[in-house]
Amino acid sequence: MRYIIPAALVAALVAPAPAAFAQASDAARAPVQSLCDGLIGIMKGGKAMGARGRGAAIGPVVDRVYDVPLMTRLTVGASWNTIAPADQTALVAAFRRMIIGQYAVNFDSFSGEKFSVDPKVETRGTDSLVRTTLIVPHDQPVAIAYRLRVSGGSWKIVDVFYRNSISQLATRRSDFSRVLATGGAKALIRHLDELSTKSGN
Amino acid sequence: MSFGLVLPTIALLGAAPEQQVAVPGAAPVAQVDSQTGQQTTPPAPPAQPAEQPPTTTAAPAIPLDPLIDPAAAPDTNAAPLATTVSVNGTAVGHAPGDPLEGLNRHLFAGYLFSDRKFIRPVAMGYRHVVPKPVRSGLRNFFSNLGEPIVFLNDLLQLKPGRAFKTFERFVINSSLGLGGLIDVAKSPNLGLPHHDNGFGNTLAYYGVGPGPYLFLPIIGPTTLRDLLAGQGDDFVLPIAIGNPFDRLEYQIPRGVLSGIDDRAESDSDFKALLDSAVDPYATLRSVYLQNRAAEIQALHSRSAKAGTTDPLGDPLGDPAARQASPLDDPLNDPAAPQSTTPANPTDTPASATANP
Repeated sequence: MRYIIPAALVAALVAPAPAAFAQASDAARAPVQSLCDGLIGIMKGGKAMGARGRGAAIGPVVDRVYDVPLMTRLTVGASWNTIAPADQTALVAAFRRMIIGQYAVNFDSFSGEKFSVDPKVETRGTDSLVRTTLIVPHDQPVAIAYRLRVSGGSWKIVDVFYRNSISQLATRRSDFSRVLATGGAKALIRHLDELSTKSGN
Repeated sequence: MSFGLVLPTIALLGAAPEQQVAVPGAAPVAQVDSQTGQQTTPPAPPAQPAEQPPTTTAAPAIPLDPLIDPAAAPDTNAAPLATTVSVNGTAVGHAPGDPLEGLNRHLFAGYLFSDRKFIRPVAMGYRHVVPKPVRSGLRNFFSNLGEPIVFLNDLLQLKPGRAFKTFERFVINSSLGLGGLIDVAKSPNLGLPHHDNGFGNTLAYYGVGPGPYLFLPIIGPTTLRDLLAGQGDDFVLPIAIGNPFDRLEYQIPRGVLSGIDDRAESDSDFKALLDSAVDPYATLRSVYLQNRAAEIQALHSRSAKAGTTDPLGDPLGDPAARQASPLDDPLNDPAAPQSTTPANPTDTPASATANP
């Protein structure tokens, strides 16, 4: 009898830890994996799908795996709070459309590419970092990492790092700041919509 | 010019499979000097602002700056980005790290114009007329001539192992590779790929900051440090060897050729930049500076065995301290209502709700 208690106690203390860890890591990897799968899907769809078709296919995936509203806010920065609510909503929509349009334009053909998602998930504070590699036949592999944060009970992508170093958010912040400063949210929305339209989405 | 990098990057989130591959540091046009033809890697120029803290880690540590929802923390960082002063409609100051923004933007616009009218057509013509093996042969040849400079800088950065590899690479490519025309050394069996290095990296390695960001007609995106150091790189061969290298008859054709070649190779990236950025100038700057920062951080990552410092890791980082690097500012979600932050003029943490 005596032994049982310590054993149970030990089990209780030890077991949950790895289990919880495994869960957290799988939970953070899952959205990244499904994004990768979605991208391979539209690449295979290729020209036949058309830019609009590829956008339509990747759109729901983007909605599921990205925290687009948060990304928009992070990109805009502190001036977010000075933007009228209607413009905020429009900005989020424009940002979403831009992400989708970019995917549709850039992932438009398939020649044997593969994504490998690193099983090891790194943690930074409350965020997780999931690394992936885009393997391109006859070419250099490309490192793409995702930063995720929990939102609404699930892990959502909030930033993407190209080559492990170039942050999408940082880049977009720089991209947007002048237009925001000079023309405000409305000008930015207009610019983003123009870009999306050009991309066929 | 690092247009190459840009696009893919921009492709928000992903990089177009094809584009990504090798985006050569594209030097716009003729570079009389500058590093020898570099491969598909980022540009040679060095460093970027805020990156002194040698970080160590096996896997490249991705600098995660604290992302704070502005909605949550209204103003904490209102400032970082906003070195940009916007006056009414137009007048805008400059972004952090880019005090010469006004001038740079003019030069960038001028570059775009001449690119459209002249540079790109020439580069595309070159690509169509000259067979690929010849183009890559020339690129390899000039790149190989730059290996001694890489070697020298490997040594200056106290990396004998790397220097030795560079040396081997140079010897192999100069002999088996027919004077550098063929990059045999990078083949998987030999495993000696090119890496960029130059005085800009060395200066950065020893703590010299980047100085102001510059966009220059022939050189493309760079910083004051990298520009000056790049001139230094260009003097190595003329001084050490002299003859053909110190002749304009050599330098000009070489510069023109590699400039055109770089432009041709990075065409899809450049187009992507223009097509996907709201403000291509600022996007290019951001990508360039981020990439340089990462390159310089990588220089340290081998030497500093110390700890895994993640400079951007803590959410409490003082925004003011980090302004130097556009990379560094804490990303705070403006919408997130947060208590910590003191005064915000404008924003009442209203938006917590607003932004689902």
